Amino acid sequence: MFFPEAMTELELIIPEKDLLPVTKVLAGRGVFHQVDASYLSSDEASKSLGTWKEQAAAYSALERQILFTMQALAVDEGPPLSIDEETMVELGTVRPLVDQIERDVKNSNDQLIENQNKLEKLRSHILQLEPIAEVDLDISLLRNQQYIYSTLGTMPAVNLERLETSLARIPYVLMTLRKEREDAVVWLTGARFNADILDRAARSAYLNPLELSDTHEGTPAEIIKSLRQEIENTQKEIENQKSAIVQLHDTYEKQLQTLLWQVRASKLLADAMARFGKLNYTYLIVGWVPTSKLEALTQQLKQISGNIVIEATPSLQRGSMTHNVPVALENTGMFGAFQTLVTTYARPRYEEIDPTVLMTITFPLLFGAMFGDVGHGLLLVLLGWLLSSKRVEALKGMSALGSIVLACGAVAMIFGFLYGSLFGSESFFHDLFGFGALWIEPLHEINQILAVSIGAGVVILSLGFLLNIYNAWRAREWGRLLFDHHGVAGLLLYWSLLGIGASALLPAFPVPMLVFVILAVVAALMVMFSEVFKHLLEGHRPLVEDGIFTYLIQAGVELFETLISSLSNSVSYVRVGAFAVAHGGLSSVIFILAELMGGGEGIFSVIIYWLIVVVGNLFIVGFEGLIVGIQTMRLEYYEFFSKFFEGGGMSYEPLTPLATARSEKS
Amino acid sequence: MLTGGASGYAAIHSRVRVMYSTLLSPQKLADLANAPDLSGLVGLLKDTPYGPYLEGLEDKDLTSKQVMHQLQKRLADVYITLIHTAPAHTRSLLTELFRHFEIDNLKAILRAIVINSSWEQVREILFPLGSLAKLPAEKMLEAGTIEAAVAQLINTPYYDTLSHAVKRYTEERSLFPLEVALDLDYWRTLWINANRLPGQDRTQALRIVGPLVDMNNLMWAMRYRVYHHLSEEEIINYTLPFGYRVRDEDIRAIAAGADMARIVMRVYPGLMNVDNLLQDPERGLPKLELQLQRRLKQQLNAVFTGYPFHIGLPLAFVILNELELQDLTVLIEAKASGKSPAEFMHYLLMSTNVEEIAAS
Repeated sequence: MFFPEAMTELELIIPEKDLLPVTKVLAGRGVFHQVDASYLSSDEASKSLGTWKEQAAAYSALERQILFTMQALAVDEGPPLSIDEETMVELGTVRPLVDQIERDVKNSNDQLIENQNKLEKLRSHILQLEPIAEVDLDISLLRNQQYIYSTLGTMPAVNLERLETSLARIPYVLMTLRKEREDAVVWLTGARFNADILDRAARSAYLNPLELSDTHEGTPAEIIKSLRQEIENTQKEIENQKSAIVQLHDTYEKQLQTLLWQVRASKLLADAMARFGKLNYTYLIVGWVPTSKLEALTQQLKQISGNIVIEATPSLQRGSMTHNVPVALENTGMFGAFQTLVTTYARPRYEEIDPTVLMTITFPLLFGAMFGDVGHGLLLVLLGWLLSSKRVEALKGMSALGSIVLACGAVAMIFGFLYGSLFGSESFFHDLFGFGALWIEPLHEINQILAVSIGAGVVILSLGFLLNIYNAWRAREWGRLLFDHHGVAGLLLYWSLLGIGASALLPAFPVPMLVFVILAVVAALMVMFSEVFKHLLEGHRPLVEDGIFTYLIQAGVELFETLISSLSNSVSYVRVGAFAVAHGGLSSVIFILAELMGGGEGIFSVIIYWLIVVVGNLFIVGFEGLIVGIQTMRLEYYEFFSKFFEGGGMSYEPLTPLATARSEKS
Repeated sequence: MLTGGASGYAAIHSRVRVMYSTLLSPQKLADLANAPDLSGLVGLLKDTPYGPYLEGLEDKDLTSKQVMHQLQKRLADVYITLIHTAPAHTRSLLTELFRHFEIDNLKAILRAIVINSSWEQVREILFPLGSLAKLPAEKMLEAGTIEAAVAQLINTPYYDTLSHAVKRYTEERSLFPLEVALDLDYWRTLWINANRLPGQDRTQALRIVGPLVDMNNLMWAMRYRVYHHLSEEEIINYTLPFGYRVRDEDIRAIAAGADMARIVMRVYPGLMNVDNLLQDPERGLPKLELQLQRRLKQQLNAVFTGYPFHIGLPLAFVILNELELQDLTVLIEAKASGKSPAEFMHYLLMSTNVEEIAAS
């Protein structure tokens, strides 16, 4: 719960003959995080690994080919295969099958597309002829005129003016028969001896002549009639071709789905095998498994291969060499939701505390303290429930946020009771519950709430220091533990500064200030010379790099920064109290506004009053809620996390088995 | 929503001013020009605002293509940043200006289809458009033919333009009509966008976009005549009927075979040596284009004096960035092919003579 799942490094040496079954088990169980061991291969063996890579690429290409065909037939991917069916299919067997299906589908599809294009063309011909439908003239006569050049066609309307300009030197007639959106149907005619010019001008203006086959003869009306007949025939053909495609869909649906998943499984296995280390007749497989799942996995591996060599090294035996251990976080439910906030900042390193639980406690607490109101909290609870219940289609993508909003809203309600606030009104609260604030009224006790906030900040920051010390202890980094500005020295300095402040402000404070001053000086020196002390502990030489003068300047600046940040980080928590006060203040403003605008008598005033109260409260929940959320995030990330949480852990990504896809799909 | 004037342009103005100061100085460019090789050049560029984009490049397998691709990423970022910071009513113009990289990409894809290139080959020559990328590039290439690739563009602004032109491709098997159609449509739309802006923004936008349109239109007309030997009517149809200082009569005159030098000198009084250059137009046109680009660069720098709260500043700045990238392209290609400074310096737009710059 407080740490990433314990991992064990697994090294397997397997004979070549067991390669496939072992890989199937590793991929099928979905617990093995593979590490690339191909670099360990001998030169000769590397070539065969290259073959696996090529195979993976070939499977990938085949997968695309199948998907393309499925798309053409509108076939979905279907359910994944059962584990037993997950095996490596031979490329030589599958490829001809896929090619054959693709050819069948392509033929039908090409014919369909061809007919669809033809239909479009025929319709376009009708559109071009309709404007001259009334002309009682055989169109075919225009084709081979001895003295007249004539062309009928469509062109971009925007080119009309330019076409006319380009023909300015010769006699011509350009008639625009129809102009629709960006296209124009035109008839261009001129003397036959200018045909070259007319033709060049027409072509360069992108005039596409009407291309009627010689079979289309007669007047425009007659041609339109025959074109309509042709359209009817083509439509029938298209219907037949569509039925043929539906038939192909039914014939190949199951086969394509099976092929797809088989090829995917094969690609996964080939990918995995390309990252194994190859010795002469054996393969070396390296990876990580959650310790809790190691036993079951090794048992299964031993069952399928008698000659397998298994070496398991728990991560604890690696000492501080844990930087490459994958990090599996096991938080579920509410913790899972807050885990996303943690991983947005960083993924914990293996030896680090996973701050998810702390985040789950402190985040709603800080939010609730800043947003304490029974009514507003209740609205957030309802919103959170709505988001996490996935009842609204449009909000499904935000379901993970639902639990966070719900938790924040619930804590805000608790603080609402402590502050005695219901929808920003103390009187509402008192009237409804019959008692006032259980603890403090932020708007009337400003100094107290600010002092409490700083106190809470000191506690949280001190917790951050202690967690960093614990992390350093786990990582066996003694120098960091003792001398880091967030280690023992830093904590001592921080507490000494607090002690100096307390003894200065509180005359009855039992410890004299001098004690804290001495402790602060000692701690400051420890922080300032932390690098020297660390080098001494680690046996690192030289103790000071880049010269003592440079070091002193650098250390001085760092000490100054540590002092300033100690102060600013603590003061930063004032915002918790300040926002509690602002929340009360803003709510009062809503009621003052409502009173001003709707304080009169009559139904209209009552409506205005309640309208302002409702809209104002919704504004507070939406706008202030967002700001408080951001402020809470800031306190968590920059004040709290920065004390102990470095992050940078490697994500645990087990070989994605098709079984996972199966469960996700189901 | 941001408005115009000082309030609308305050943020983008400060940003552009800061970014303007990061343009490469003549001294820096001279240093780059004197770099021993491509690796040295990249090393020097790492100390410039291009540095962060070159961090990941390994010395051992450095190619000019890789370096260019990284530098282009910076230009794309500059554009995207300014588009997002610009007042809402001007964003469409900046986006439209940026679109010419998408058109270049589109042309590259069409060419790749014709010569059967693989996606891996194409991908590395495409300009990195970042979040503004809209083309279904890979699908187009997979489509296999120009006609099928154009069909993939159905929901893009290019479909209508190309669907008219693709019939000519089918007949002629040449990409020329497609590319011309794309260019014409691009400059028409850009011109319309600039003209749609209100008041001062319109004036300043035309002050920047206008010379660009003029330069392109004039160079097209001359190239069509000199290199492609197109007929008068074709030249007219393949050029634009509008401009800032270039009039339609100028283009028509070039198309009809009039003296090109006389027209160029009318449009650009004070331009040196035009007569000489156009005596041998096949060799002279590239040099003339460089002169026009240098002149454009001066005009763009001039925008940075005077009243600053208008769209002119960001527009001028992004084009200056493009011209800087053009110079860097020259340097990168020259260094990659081992050319000496004497062989490539005259292709640079920026003068690397520091004393000369200081004197001017």
